[in-house]
Amino acid sequence: MNSFNTIWANGRGNLATWLLWGLAAVFVVYTFASGGYLIAVLQFALIYTVLVTGLNIFMGFTGQVSFGHNAFAAIGGYSSAVLTATYGWEPLPAGLVGLAGALLCALVIGYPVLRLRGHYLAMATLAIGLIVYEVAVQWQSVTQGYMGISGIAPIGIGRFTITSDRGLLVFLMIAAALALLSAAGIRRSRLGRAFVAAAGSEDAARALGIDVARYKLIAFMISAAYAAIAGSLFAHAVGFVSPEVFGLPMVVMSFTMLYVGGIGTIAGPALGAIIISVLPESFRTFKDYQDLAYGAALIVILIYAPRGLASLPELWARWRRRSA
Amino acid sequence: MFNLVAQSVLSGIGIGAVYGLIGIGFCVIYNASGIVNFAQGAFVMLGGMLTNVGMIKLGLPLPLAAIGAIAIVAMLGVVLERIVVRPLWNRGSTMFVMILATLAAQIVVERITQIMAGDQPRTLPVFTDLPPLRLFGFAINFQFLWILGCSALVIILLGLFFSSTKTGKAMRACSINRDAAALQGIRVSRMLALAFALSAALGAFAGILITPTQYTAFNVGVPFAISGFIAAIVGGFGRPLGAFAGGILLGVAQALAIVLLGAAFKNVAALSILLLFLFVRPTGLLGPAK
Repeated sequence: MNSFNTIWANGRGNLATWLLWGLAAVFVVYTFASGGYLIAVLQFALIYTVLVTGLNIFMGFTGQVSFGHNAFAAIGGYSSAVLTATYGWEPLPAGLVGLAGALLCALVIGYPVLRLRGHYLAMATLAIGLIVYEVAVQWQSVTQGYMGISGIAPIGIGRFTITSDRGLLVFLMIAAALALLSAAGIRRSRLGRAFVAAAGSEDAARALGIDVARYKLIAFMISAAYAAIAGSLFAHAVGFVSPEVFGLPMVVMSFTMLYVGGIGTIAGPALGAIIISVLPESFRTFKDYQDLAYGAALIVILIYAPRGLASLPELWARWRRRSA
Repeated sequence: MFNLVAQSVLSGIGIGAVYGLIGIGFCVIYNASGIVNFAQGAFVMLGGMLTNVGMIKLGLPLPLAAIGAIAIVAMLGVVLERIVVRPLWNRGSTMFVMILATLAAQIVVERITQIMAGDQPRTLPVFTDLPPLRLFGFAINFQFLWILGCSALVIILLGLFFSSTKTGKAMRACSINRDAAALQGIRVSRMLALAFALSAALGAFAGILITPTQYTAFNVGVPFAISGFIAAIVGGFGRPLGAFAGGILLGVAQALAIVLLGAAFKNVAALSILLLFLFVRPTGLLGPAK
């Protein structure tokens, strides 16, 4: 179900999806050539691609719910920020510490929390996100509270750092592509098949000998890892982190991207992230209305196109039938 | 020290009663539909904000402003049900999608409030402006008495509504078995709208009661909703009286955590209670509703 093969490559869907890909490619090339502010927008979209891809593994493939992945992004982002800006570490080891921290937290939190279902699971994960936010606000000696941490060094290894906007863009493109490719690899592997089986029916999966609890935990940890990497990338790309960056709006925005692109598909996260990042930028005057627009868009999508752009061909076919 | 602890337990009971009312709001919708409405916090926030606006912009006296605010919020509850919940409900969406949609609605309401009213915290005057009562060496605020009295009244009225009015009985029938209720000629969808109105009014009322002792701003909704949700879980989801007891337990635990461990531990205490109940006794104090 819900896999790359069945949704993105089925006959009628092709034209619309290739058109979208074409538009995305044209946009990327145009941005690269023209430079300026659009580059920052695209960088942002690529970072979110990594986060949403992780969310997709947990929610799309495994059929679970997490409202708390901003917690893992915050752990990654703050580890990178504190270790490089305050303690002068290299970006790579700092990011790895953040990754390890997020994995450890996901293991410790996931073990009890993933036994829950439905609204219990939703509320427990939401609470985790809020707790980490609270820690970021309160633990002022390390996180500097609401002020946030600025002056985070750009990404790089040793003396080789990426300082130019275009260089960073290429780097983030590679990172996002790796995220998507690894998600595709996971989806096709034994692991991915187990995830999808657990999403379909836990009882049936169990009957096939799949240790559902264990695979849910693995999916949770993998998606937490993506979130932590996205958090670290954000810290270095923007050079600034604060609790607000990793607040509840981040959760809603990542869900919007996931649903716009198409939950459960491989490429959906990238498409959703680019569209949701670019659209508000084309209406810059409405900056204040951004979260409002994300929320409203999410509601409309959930009601009318629950599988995102992937379901557009279907809607189109239905509309044609009705008007014919 | 003893005095300080006892005093904070008292204030914890007051805040806990408010959590309990919010928790009952969760139960009312859950019982009528099986939906968990994550936009519950928006109602609480709007209750306080709209009352404040009514008093300051329109110059209304507090009771009028409060009644107006509750009425408007109840209508907004129906609007939420009509434009967000109903379409999803008709399509048979999964519970997760419903949660996500109501959470998105929460954010939308929050942002609209922020744009229209700014991000400055606001407050309401206390209902009775007299120095606190002195009883056995404790200071008891009048607002505390208002909170306890009003929430007790609300619970009695709700109890009467559900046990002796036709509409209340119809709502209970829906919570027992929706299909059977529909076969009896009960309009299940109308009950759903009514449940949202009732729940929104409860939330707004809770928000108005608590605002004089704290403050309100566009972003206070989510923390209140989480406290109310924890209260509902502690009480056994779907059991209004349990939710109220759970709210008081939560309020007291938070107050004790603040006075004994420090203010930063307020939410840690709340979350610990949530996790404790989820893992050890997920059916809550009173057991499940059905």
